[in-house]
Amino acid sequence: MRPIEFEILLSLAGGARHGYAIILDIEARAGDGATLETGTLYRALQRLAEQGHVTEARTPPGEDDRRRYHAITPAGRAAAAAEARRMAALVDGARAARLLPEAP
Amino acid sequence: MSGTAWWARAYDVALRAFPAHFRARWGDEMRLTLADRVAAARDRDGRLPLRLVARELASALAGGARERLHERLRHPATRPPMPRLQDVRYALRLLLRSPGFTLLTVLVLAGGIGLSTFTFSFLYTAMLRPVPLDEGARIVRVDPVVDGRLTGTDLADVAALAASVRSVRQLGAFTGRALVVGRDGDRRAIDGTVADPVLFAVARTPALLGRPLVPADAEPGAEPVLVLSYRIWQAAFGGDPGVVGRRVPLNGAETRVVGVMPEGFGFPVASEAWLPLPADAPGRATAGLASVRLVGRLAPGASHATAAAEVATVLRRAQAARDTSARAGVVDAAVETLPSAQIGEERALVFALLNLVAGLILLLALVNVTNLLLARADERVRETAVRLALGATAGRLVVQGMWETVLLCLAGGVVGTAGAAWGLEGITRWTQANIPDNLAFWWVWRLDHVTLLGAGAFVTVAIASLGAVAALRTRRLDVRAAMQDGGARGGARRAGRLSRALVAVQVTTVTVLMFFGVMAGVVAHRVVTIDPGFDPARLLQGGVLPPDARYPTAAARAGLYRDVRARVAEQGALGDVLLRRPLGEARTARGRLARRGAARTPELLPTAHVEASLGDLRTIGVEVLEGRALGAADDASRAPVAVVSRALARRHWGGRSPVGEQLRLAGAGAGDTATYRTVVGVVSDVPHGNPLARDRSADAIYVPLLQGDHDYAAVLARWRTTETAARLAMVQAFGAADPLLVPDGVQPFAESLRKMGLIAVSVTRLFTACFAFALVLALVGTYGLMSRAIGARTREIGLRRALGATDGRVARLILLQGGRQLVVGTLLAAPALGALGLLLRHYVPVSATLTVAAAVLVSASIVGLVLAASWVPTRRALRLTPRDALWTG
Repeated sequence: MRPIEFEILLSLAGGARHGYAIILDIEARAGDGATLETGTLYRALQRLAEQGHVTEARTPPGEDDRRRYHAITPAGRAAAAAEARRMAALVDGARAARLLPEAP
Repeated sequence: MSGTAWWARAYDVALRAFPAHFRARWGDEMRLTLADRVAAARDRDGRLPLRLVARELASALAGGARERLHERLRHPATRPPMPRLQDVRYALRLLLRSPGFTLLTVLVLAGGIGLSTFTFSFLYTAMLRPVPLDEGARIVRVDPVVDGRLTGTDLADVAALAASVRSVRQLGAFTGRALVVGRDGDRRAIDGTVADPVLFAVARTPALLGRPLVPADAEPGAEPVLVLSYRIWQAAFGGDPGVVGRRVPLNGAETRVVGVMPEGFGFPVASEAWLPLPADAPGRATAGLASVRLVGRLAPGASHATAAAEVATVLRRAQAARDTSARAGVVDAAVETLPSAQIGEERALVFALLNLVAGLILLLALVNVTNLLLARADERVRETAVRLALGATAGRLVVQGMWETVLLCLAGGVVGTAGAAWGLEGITRWTQANIPDNLAFWWVWRLDHVTLLGAGAFVTVAIASLGAVAALRTRRLDVRAAMQDGGARGGARRAGRLSRALVAVQVTTVTVLMFFGVMAGVVAHRVVTIDPGFDPARLLQGGVLPPDARYPTAAARAGLYRDVRARVAEQGALGDVLLRRPLGEARTARGRLARRGAARTPELLPTAHVEASLGDLRTIGVEVLEGRALGAADDASRAPVAVVSRALARRHWGGRSPVGEQLRLAGAGAGDTATYRTVVGVVSDVPHGNPLARDRSADAIYVPLLQGDHDYAAVLARWRTTETAARLAMVQAFGAADPLLVPDGVQPFAESLRKMGLIAVSVTRLFTACFAFALVLALVGTYGLMSRAIGARTREIGLRRALGATDGRVARLILLQGGRQLVVGTLLAAPALGALGLLLRHYVPVSATLTVAAAVLVSASIVGLVLAASWVPTRRALRLTPRDALWTG
């Protein structure tokens, strides 16, 4: 799984969002100065949709109905969890190798 | 809102990089997201986030391209469909169903491809094809270049060149020579070549009978020998195989025939017989007297440039060793293949310009065919839309359409190539019939692999360009619109844009072509009406070539000239006799042409044409104005004299008389070049120099023929009764002077002028036909394009008229649309016309006024023609009632 795809799934794990909200969430998580281009986001969304990890959600009442909301599917949640575990194992390995300090 | 923001429009364009289905799914949301980001940044910073916009645009373009690639890899089905045999059959069926369209398209393509192929092949054979001998590409001609002009090689320099030059091997000299074969009543004048026998080693061509010349034939004391050409062997000896070994009288000396060369052999130039150039001739030669040409084989590893540099060095060394007054100027050298050297210095221009013309004609043809194909596509738009709607992929339809284009182009290519082959063979027949004496032996035009390769390249260009347009059109078809109104709007806007672009291209192309055609016509007119500077009527011309064996000294040659003049003058059928030997131009560079003044250093004179003469200068329209004429008494025993033209006298001496002044002619081939001559007269002006050149002038100096040493003189005499009687009289006069002497190349002077311009006139006629074809293509094409463009607006016209627009307003609207394309086309053509005009003026004698006038006239004519072509369909559109227009549109 590509980092951008994991980022999107992570963002959607908290609830359905539209594209701009996903960008804001990812940029906020990544920290100051990090940017994500619109084209990159939607190419990744296209891949995730093809893999069945993301699906279109109903636009919440009161929101701009031109916006399309995206939600994570159970398969997407499972894939994101697997990726998170893989990453956690990597972090554990890094700690064991003293590349990172011990967890508090 | 005043309209969409520029960045949003730019993003729309950038989104087109993504595949259509991707855009359909995500496009709106992507626009919305970008708008959110821009609005947020604007709120935050108070200005448009240009960096964000730039990054987003770049990301969309790159991401779109990657998405397309990704899609290709994921879905092999979207790769271009492979051609199928059934597509070819389908395309063939469609073409046969509309024979009129097919025939017209094939003919237009055949014309464009045929003309391009013909021009390319003609020029390739004339200028680039290596001579058809073993390793012919390495055979080169070596020419000195003095003051930027190609000249012959001084025979006196040949020994030094042959001994020192390493980059050209087997360097041999040759020169033309008029020969008389036979004796008494059975004499025949032939054009021979005196050649270093090494040239037969260069040619590597075995003799048909006997042997070619060998170095031993040129040694002092060797038996005089002769090698015959196939043509003269057939004509003079009836093809007798026993001729080898026989002794024949040649210029009065018994000469043994040692061989006959094969048919078509004419190396280094077309010739009827070859004699050996004596090995010791260069060593004995006086500098400045005899000129020869040099041919050899480029040594392995040597290039034309290195060889030229080496030759120039040797030539400069040889010049430096001689009397500086005899030769001066900037000496350089040119080493070229035989075909390049034959065409001369303007070959690059000729090759580029003529191929450009052919290319433009092909472009015109392609524009026309594009229009025909677009019109056909318009007719079939509903069918195409139905097929797309039923699930046919655009790629499948493109491939099917492509087959139609391929078949049309192949048919056009075959017909065009056949036409080109017919034209090339016609050219060969024409040249062999009209200019056999000057024909280079490699000038045989025919259908060969180069012609086929050229034709293949032009067909490929045609397929690629027509196919691209057709594919673009199919891919951009708006299915929904096509289904709704049967093609009136299905892609009509885009097709209209394409049509307008085609009109602009057509206007540019035809303007450039017509300008070139008009200028070629002007030059051809100049060539046809060559002004020799005097009345050439009833003037007969022949040449005196004193054979070396019987006239070995300058005095003997001068005696012969004097005798010939006297004998010709005795003939009742001839009058106004003049022997002349133009000595070229003497220029002021380095004191070659100078006047002895009061000061010690000689004063330089302006450039002047120098001519040695014996007899009546009035024959060439030159009258004595002051002092005296040159006479037969002005020979080597008298003080050197000269007469000058009025133009030269005025230019240099102003109001004073030049009679009694002294001048020097160093470097003009006038024999004793260091001697000062006394001016004894002033004569009237006639233009001198190459009649086809742009730098003719009346500045002339005439010197007595008998006061120099000349290997040739032309005899001019005016006939009193008939040309036949005059020809006979000239032959008799020569015979009376020397029974073994015949006049060389007897012909009316006007005939020699005609021959001078014959090739130019013929080539111009040929290209006039091409221009006529181009003009017809342009006219028909412009009419078709305008007709189509206006036809596409029929519904709009009907609507406007239904809403109350007057005919005048509608006509103005349509013509204004045509006018825009005219302006664009004319503006595009303007720089091309300027460049072409400057280039032509550099090489041919046309004035700036004439060039500008031609450019304006051509542009105005094309504007008129296009407006006329627009008017006819406009009137047709206006004749329809609004109801009909809306119905048929």
